[in-house]
Amino acid sequence: MPTVSRKIERLINLTIALLATKRYLTKTEVFRLVEGYEGSAETKERMFERDKDDLRSLGISIDVGSFDPLFSDEAGYRIKSENYQLDLGAITPTEMSLLSLAADAWQGAAFADATQSAILKLSSFGVPADPIDIPGLSPKLSNGSKELETIAGAIGDANFLTFDYLSTDLIAEQRTIIPIALSNKSGFWYVSGVDHGIQEVRTFRLDRVQGAITVRKNTESFEFPTDFEIDRVDVATSMRFAVVDVRKGKGHALRNLATSTQDLGEWDQIKIPILTVEYLASQILWHCEDAFVHEPSDLRELIIIQLQALLIDHG
Amino acid sequence: MGKNISAPLLRTARLLDLVPFLNTHQGIALKELAAHFDVTPAQMSADLMTLWMCGLPGYTPLELMDLEFESGYVTIRNASTLSKPRTITFQEGVALLLGLDLVATSLPETRTDLLSAVDSLRQRLTKLLGVPVKLSVVPAVSGSIPTTISQAVHKNSGLKIRYHSMYKDETGDRLVMPVDIYESRGHQYMRAFCFTANDYREFRMDRIETTTPASVPKEFESRHVDSEKISFTITGKTASREVVERFALSEYHLGKAINLASYSRQWIERSVMASGGALVLNSPLDIRAEVAEKAQLMLNRYKEA
Repeated sequence: MPTVSRKIERLINLTIALLATKRYLTKTEVFRLVEGYEGSAETKERMFERDKDDLRSLGISIDVGSFDPLFSDEAGYRIKSENYQLDLGAITPTEMSLLSLAADAWQGAAFADATQSAILKLSSFGVPADPIDIPGLSPKLSNGSKELETIAGAIGDANFLTFDYLSTDLIAEQRTIIPIALSNKSGFWYVSGVDHGIQEVRTFRLDRVQGAITVRKNTESFEFPTDFEIDRVDVATSMRFAVVDVRKGKGHALRNLATSTQDLGEWDQIKIPILTVEYLASQILWHCEDAFVHEPSDLRELIIIQLQALLIDHG
Repeated sequence: MGKNISAPLLRTARLLDLVPFLNTHQGIALKELAAHFDVTPAQMSADLMTLWMCGLPGYTPLELMDLEFESGYVTIRNASTLSKPRTITFQEGVALLLGLDLVATSLPETRTDLLSAVDSLRQRLTKLLGVPVKLSVVPAVSGSIPTTISQAVHKNSGLKIRYHSMYKDETGDRLVMPVDIYESRGHQYMRAFCFTANDYREFRMDRIETTTPASVPKEFESRHVDSEKISFTITGKTASREVVERFALSEYHLGKAINLASYSRQWIERSVMASGGALVLNSPLDIRAEVAEKAQLMLNRYKEA
């Protein structure tokens, strides 16, 4: 495939030329200096536009500017070495091992290719990894959605993501967000973003997204919300608590959610933050007669209604 | 690297990354180089040949990169423009940051040296990304438990574990010999020979509360008893995402009976209770009766209070 090789050669030569130049090169100069631009003016023009897009898709940023402030009618191009080169400072052998562990955590999962290509670049520092003296340490990330790369890309460019999201009553609702966060909690992947409809940050569990996620370019400026804390995505915004009695030696899952525990003899009284009343009701009913709700009244009432339904349906 | 990058572009990226790598690995064997970049030696030769034609404008021998690889060992000269590694992409940075977050949760708290190294890397990578982004990993199983288990798997040694059984809602000690760790539907499991049950068992790792090294008999025999699954039937009353996820249903039509099976009658009973009336358990009749009985018992207590 000689044409393919020629294209690759041209892209490399273009990268070298734009990196080596101390000033902006005009298109005319690029066509004259860089090997591989042939054909009519129009062909060369098309080639150059495609080449710029190709380099950008490889993460190489090309600066556009004017090479002469007095005659600013023709745009010039260059790649600044500080944008091209990896600047992580001096990397120690221990840091190299930690980065390898971080990359290996993705083995067989969504970002496996991305992390391997990052490690390949890092290996060029020539710093040997210093194995970490903790045998058996090899944490793995759960293989979530194939859409993680799409989402990460959209975060980087502050683009819109549109997807259908399954509501608690099984209705697929279309949501559009500008994503700002990616998190994994207890094996589930979540994306958080500013919901276009309500202009507030919402968090979505990725396995509840139906079908594909589409990306749309955002041309407006975007202000990153400053008050969003990712560690608190699963804590209710209005901090309400439930007061629940749990039998001694029982109700482990509920106890794990508790913020305080009081000994009542045969029972313990615990306080649980409420994410949603419906979710907590389900958690409490799972524990059958080992859990009893005192407060709040709306949770109590919901549980009583659900118990009545269970009694009628199964009696 | 995005998944939508074409083969010629991937090759361009590889060639750009080859130069800085060769700069710090002068004289590397062609075979080793090919393995490092995960291509065949023939492909690597073709890559080097292409690279050999590239250089600074002018393209005389003075400006072209000077590659020597005919001997089977590769050296590079005159490649200063590309000699530094390429910066990482936003996606690569995000992936490394998420990975580092997980690594941090897996390190023992006492290893402050490693924890501060992770922290320093995170700060430098975040700065490199240049765009604000929040990333976090909070695994269900954190700390030293996965490490202790994989160590035991490697060394063929035993462990005493404190395990919480979700269905029974009971915590107990078991003596086990871990066999392996695997993932299924977002949860990590340990497969092990359990000396308490005298059989192979699977343990959800987020329900293991403690692990302590313990000596176990070197020889053991599985007294495997095939336990039978309990068939049960449910009918959906109201559309509920929770029901679909809890029973792992691929299809869910309201009013239509669905046949399922489980090893645990406690799980069936608790799952029906937790659905809070969103579905009806049609069979088996004894579990049905128990659901009604429990609901009555609980209602009585709410009425008393």
